[in-house]
Amino acid sequence: MDRWFLIASTLLAAVAGLRGLLILRHGNMSRWTVFWMIAVMACQMGYLAVRGEMRGACPLRSIGEISVFLAWSLTLFYLLVGPVYRISLLGVFTAPVVVIFQGFALLPGRLVSNPEKVMNTTFWGETHSAMSVLAYGALALAAVAGVMFLVLDKQLKEHHLKSGLFRNLPPVRELLVSLERLLWLGMVLLTVGVIAGVLMPLGEDAIAHLIAAVGVWLGYLVLMVTKRVRGITGRRFALGAVALFVLSLGVFAFV
Amino acid sequence: MELVCLGVNHKTAPVEVRERFAVGTTKLGEAAQHLLEMAGAPEGVVVSTCNRTEFYLVAENASVALTNLQHSLAEKVHGHEEPFYHYQQRDAARHLCKVVSGLDSMLLGETEIFGQVKQAYQAAHEAGATGSILNKLFQKAFSVGKKVRTQTSIQEGSTSIGNVAVELAEKIFGHLKDSEVMVLGAGEMSRLTAQALVSRGAKSIIVANRTHDRAVELADEMGGRAVRFDEWLVELKNVDVVISSTGAPHTIIHRDEVESLRRARKYRPLFMIDIAVPRDIEHSVGEIEEVYLYDIDALEQLAEEAKVRRVNQIVECEKIIEEELEKLGLTFTSSQ
Repeated sequence: MDRWFLIASTLLAAVAGLRGLLILRHGNMSRWTVFWMIAVMACQMGYLAVRGEMRGACPLRSIGEISVFLAWSLTLFYLLVGPVYRISLLGVFTAPVVVIFQGFALLPGRLVSNPEKVMNTTFWGETHSAMSVLAYGALALAAVAGVMFLVLDKQLKEHHLKSGLFRNLPPVRELLVSLERLLWLGMVLLTVGVIAGVLMPLGEDAIAHLIAAVGVWLGYLVLMVTKRVRGITGRRFALGAVALFVLSLGVFAFV
Repeated sequence: MELVCLGVNHKTAPVEVRERFAVGTTKLGEAAQHLLEMAGAPEGVVVSTCNRTEFYLVAENASVALTNLQHSLAEKVHGHEEPFYHYQQRDAARHLCKVVSGLDSMLLGETEIFGQVKQAYQAAHEAGATGSILNKLFQKAFSVGKKVRTQTSIQEGSTSIGNVAVELAEKIFGHLKDSEVMVLGAGEMSRLTAQALVSRGAKSIIVANRTHDRAVELADEMGGRAVRFDEWLVELKNVDVVISSTGAPHTIIHRDEVESLRRARKYRPLFMIDIAVPRDIEHSVGEIEEVYLYDIDALEQLAEEAKVRRVNQIVECEKIIEEELEKLGLTFTSSQ
């Protein structure tokens, strides 16, 4: 049942992304992307409820489960941030990322059919997992906003202003403000996740994971402090957000 | 009953003729009533804008009404060639739809005309000068106008340099209410561009000109402040948009000067508009990451592309108009 919810959610995200892109090619903005993404979210919730019941805990025990939770977190922050800042085009950029994460989880062997029931949960352990993945949802959305900025910046610098994408992208300043707010939100959640990680009982294999988490946290901290104190060009700020997110995914895939 | 439209516009008459037919917005109802008397018709609307005055009539006999009207208006065109155009029946309905959609405007696709025609119709309606045919026709024309604007790109893109600059500034900064603008050179082009930015809510305007008195004059006109020309670099620290249009024979804004302020500006985006010939801003300034530099050629090219895009939409708009006229179901026969 959990897998069906996940397949439905992935298909809906694919439709949202493709439909949005097709409408964008004709120079218009898809007003319905947000509703497609709400449907994506509903199916993700269905998956999480069933999977959580099977695990008897937050379903964050395998790389597949973490991928889906990350996609859910990304969708959640899109729905919170996108419509508020009138950057619904964010949905068209977010949907493909959701498809990639969930598609990865659907690969054979990523989500076992009968997952083991979790017996020894701890408060700090659960907090660490949930907060960290939520943080990466916000940071993933920041990376998406960063990509949008980079696309717009390139078009403005090179005077390529005819595309439907250009007409529908939000202004540079709005994107940078959203990017910064999402990064701060991600940082706060990640801080809670890292502190909870330090406080939870640590196995030997968890030490490397925690060091990697602290490393990623420091990377984001340097980026944010640089932006606030010294200032940084929009392009470098956006590139930093995208690079740090990709790097952190890479790190956690191997550590 | 037959439908007639008689008018003068920017294509058929110079301003000295058009102004003789102009009707103030408060007099449109009165003018519609007067039209009924002149033409001996039961229904009439007078549309009057700076580029056109048009008389829409419903009469028993279109030719008679037209002759009566032209006769009444003859003295106003004294000394000039015949400035009138006229349409009858379905052609008149089609023309109204084109006018409302901005297809007959000087600036193709402009939106102001929609409100102006609506105002004219309401005034005539309140004055009791309209009946079932014109009511139906004008309501249809308004719905056609909306459809044309929403289903085509006829109003998209800016077709003047000032508006292109505003559009780009809004793409970079969003609302301009937090944006400071600096104008270098107090010529006509910079005045027009700055005015366009101010009209969209730019927070403040700083004017620098070699002749300080001209800077003060322009700053007063814009509600901004003037600074000495040698102080522009100091002011650059706080501004978001620079419009440069001096008559200098060489560049006056150099890369090293802008580079020296980047740290102080915290690398915020800077939009630079160079509308001077020869150019005021060194080309390499545009290579600075946070600087978006547009010269007169780039702006003119964008305006021209928007015009072409609009022209390319005409066929699509006319198709919509024909489809809607079919649905209107008024039993007009095509006129010559």
